[in-house]
Amino acid sequence: MENASLLNPDVWVDQYGDILFRFALQRIGDTGIAEELVQETFLAAMRAKDRFKGQSSEKTWLFGILKHKIVDHYRRRKYDHLDMNVENFSETTDKFFSDNGKWRIQPTSWNINPVEAHEQREFMDAFYQCLSQMPQRLADAFVYREVDGLSTEEIRKVMDITASNCWVMLYRARMLLRRCIETNWTQT
Amino acid sequence: MKHWMFCCKDVSQKFSESMDRKLPLDDRIFIRFHQLMCRYCSRFRRQLLLLRELSRSDNIAGMPQDFSAGLSLEARERIKASLKA
Repeated sequence: MENASLLNPDVWVDQYGDILFRFALQRIGDTGIAEELVQETFLAAMRAKDRFKGQSSEKTWLFGILKHKIVDHYRRRKYDHLDMNVENFSETTDKFFSDNGKWRIQPTSWNINPVEAHEQREFMDAFYQCLSQMPQRLADAFVYREVDGLSTEEIRKVMDITASNCWVMLYRARMLLRRCIETNWTQT
Repeated sequence: MKHWMFCCKDVSQKFSESMDRKLPLDDRIFIRFHQLMCRYCSRFRRQLLLLRELSRSDNIAGMPQDFSAGLSLEARERIKASLKA
């Protein structure tokens, strides 16, 4: 367990404050909001520190909390009204395919290098904005799986769903997020 | 459904599922074969893997120089105080 002995709020700010701040600033672009999100992250971490199991490093755990805060920030800011409900969402994924199962809305080529993608502000902005537009439970499932790295079994328990429901929700989340980024990201 | 009947819709679902659990070997082989033959499914695969990589990345290397600054002294003290409150 990396840095487990440092699970101490008193040293968090000095040890992780700058790197969390830079990550938030890169995603948000506003110093004041980035500071607020870092503060919220530390406060949430302090409240939850007894539940920290040491399965990931302390740094990864704090980053996970910060990413939740960033998604929450985008959601609060201006996208609440776009929230869709889960029941309608199967229609949303069906529209991607024709009756014979071939792509109707074909994935376009993304002119982005995976190694450099996280440095591209426009791409990450679209990523977080799109995540915030998704139906809440789909976004939650996606964040648990892809950001937090929880297993299907863990997500199943947290969200009180079956394993097959979990796979379907993750599929829908990925389809919606991928398409939303493609539509909203202005490639340079 | 027979594997050779997998269409793009099936492959997209199966590939997503393969990111969450280990599929049977024959499923994996036919999905990969389809993706090699179909450029749209190949793109879809690469893009889902990219989204995973970005979601899990904490990498902030390569940011512009003006992003090298850290928390201001004031913010640092304020956050420390809030943690002790």
